Amino acid sequence: MDCEHAAPWLPLLLDRELPIWRRLRLGRHVAGCPTCAGRLDELQTMRTAMKVQLPYHRAPPGLATRILSSLPREMAPQPVRPWFRIPAFALAGTSLGGALAGGALVLLVQSRTAEGPRGTAIADVIDSHIGSMMAEHLTDVRTSDQHTVKPWLSAHVDVSPPVRELAPEGFPLIGGRVAYIDGHQAAAVVYRHDKHVINLFAWASPGNPDVPMHTTTRQGFNVISWRAGGIEYFAVSDLEADQLERFARLVAG
Amino acid sequence: MPHSGDDRKRRFERLALPHLDAAYNLARWLAGNPADAEDVVQEAYLRAYRYFDAFQGGNFRVWLLTIVRNSFANWVRENRSARMMFVPETPVAETADRDETMWGTSPRDPEALLLDSLDSQMLERLMQQLPSDYREVLLLREVEDLSYKEIATVTDVPIGTVMSRLARARLALRRLWLTETAQEGADGL
Repeated sequence: MDCEHAAPWLPLLLDRELPIWRRLRLGRHVAGCPTCAGRLDELQTMRTAMKVQLPYHRAPPGLATRILSSLPREMAPQPVRPWFRIPAFALAGTSLGGALAGGALVLLVQSRTAEGPRGTAIADVIDSHIGSMMAEHLTDVRTSDQHTVKPWLSAHVDVSPPVRELAPEGFPLIGGRVAYIDGHQAAAVVYRHDKHVINLFAWASPGNPDVPMHTTTRQGFNVISWRAGGIEYFAVSDLEADQLERFARLVAG
Repeated sequence: MPHSGDDRKRRFERLALPHLDAAYNLARWLAGNPADAEDVVQEAYLRAYRYFDAFQGGNFRVWLLTIVRNSFANWVRENRSARMMFVPETPVAETADRDETMWGTSPRDPEALLLDSLDSQMLERLMQQLPSDYREVLLLREVEDLSYKEIATVTDVPIGTVMSRLARARLALRRLWLTETAQEGADGL
């Protein structure tokens, strides 16, 4: 791992948002790299400054009393749909939060070995997906024209994935880049859906039988994998699973 | 068995009051002044109480901060003519930073951020110079210690947007900080 690849991950290391093997790998790099150690120090300095020096505005005295006295005494039954969104995961038990987070780490580590090469590929596509957004290195070739992206990818990667015009379906093409997944050079075709970035990875898997689509969720991202015509496909995004599945079906045509 | 009104109120007090400082601090940073912050928090608590039955467990602080933020957005809509501290999207800043990574690929600048180089008032001023969505993501991450997923809930954007926005916010704050301390150094000479 070199600095250019390590740098985008340093904030996630500080924020404890990395799976454990990532943390260990990055930790090893930082330990031997004064530049990245310095960057991490700076991030920590900004955090400390905000925690220690930034004024924390405490509620003025009397606000609690004013709030409580303004609450209605009797409550009528409330409508089922409140005016604000209540995301489902916000309601997942937090008293269990710590335990669950620990459990999730263990599961991730186990699945990495249990799923064998596929587990490694899933971890790598999520890495590449997050890395592409954090480093602002989303594309090597940035164009919404599929007739530019496809030949560019063919020239740089040993696979020629379908590059489709999906803007009418709500998935405009952003561009393409070369990625490294599980030891393979892979084509990454980048699409967008509203604010969500979708990375579609493809690499050659000659002679292997087709595998139907399979959806998994890791670190808040959905991953759909399938194999068709000797090409391995992984679509990854923070898009809702049903929308990502719609995307995958459009790509698979 | 349905709770009596008093039971409900006591349960709400027990859950919601411990987070009053967090709610007020967020509102204060969003609204920019104490009077408006207090209005927003009062409104948020009233709404939270009204929809208390919709809270089915989980992280009450995240749930409450989401309501504070929504109440603030509402308040902005209703007071459009009043002072506008809040700009939900900041396209200028987002595009200005688009091509930059946290440090770029060039060698790191010779200066480094030094904790002692910045006092409270300077830091507050720098934070106020940031676009409000940068300020918000920094507060939720660094001061409130929310996870990316929780920040995504509160601010209602995808988790990928939280990550890239946070990276840009840190870059912007770092740049302001370095400019500020370089200025200080020059003034000191």
